[in-house]
Amino acid sequence: MATSLRIGARTEGNDIAILSLTGEVEVANASQVRDAALKLVSGGRKYLVVDLSGVEYMDSTGLGTLVGLHKRLREAGGQVLIAGAQPRVRKIFDITGLTQVFRMHEDVSAALKEVRG
Amino acid sequence: MRTKAPEQVEIRIPRRAELVRVARMAACAIASQMGFTIDIIKDIELAVGEACANAVEHVRVGDDGPDEIIIRFTLGQDELVVEVMDRGQGFDPEQAGKGEADDSDEPGGLGLFVIRALMDELRVDCDPATGTCVRMVKRRTK
Repeated sequence: MATSLRIGARTEGNDIAILSLTGEVEVANASQVRDAALKLVSGGRKYLVVDLSGVEYMDSTGLGTLVGLHKRLREAGGQVLIAGAQPRVRKIFDITGLTQVFRMHEDVSAALKEVRG
Repeated sequence: MRTKAPEQVEIRIPRRAELVRVARMAACAIASQMGFTIDIIKDIELAVGEACANAVEHVRVGDDGPDEIIIRFTLGQDELVVEVMDRGQGFDPEQAGKGEADDSDEPGGLGLFVIRALMDELRVDCDPATGTCVRMVKRRTK
């Protein structure tokens, strides 16, 4: 059974990577998200903006993947920023307390604004 | 007057991450049929998905038993009971799902933490001989 996740990736300058996810992020495909993100930041980019505006479902495996990426980038002086989480997805960040860990932004533009200062 | 026994729906899926969606879809269909609101249906879907993901991840080493997950829905008058059973090695039910998530990337317990937040009741039974049963209840609000 094919999983319903599409992954888009782009970079902005030398420091910023943007991962756009569409569909469902769950136990069956969280490793694809991790692999795509690691490839994107492998050139030394410190900031990863994860655009969740097209994500309808995320489970704790998906959350754990984002936490692992955040931890990795934080060690390099960067971070993962979350953009555009819909209410259903935002809820899982809220109930796990991870809104205290990630910077949550309304959209990618707002996240980029923070990174660029 | 005899009380009508609750109806049950039981599905079995091979223990594969790609098939957790099947259990989620069944949960949505049953919760919808019972008249839960869309927000509650989505909560039940996520809770069932988390329990099945746990079952996929806690594989028992060296077990020759059926490598499947059984999901049993009991459709009560005022509540939906979902039991997710597998022959996995499970986890410590005393500790699982109690702490708040932090920024470590340890996956253990986060799924049960989510289930506890979304459902009205959660019970985890781990038996080394038979496996793990995650039992959760969602009540209909009146």
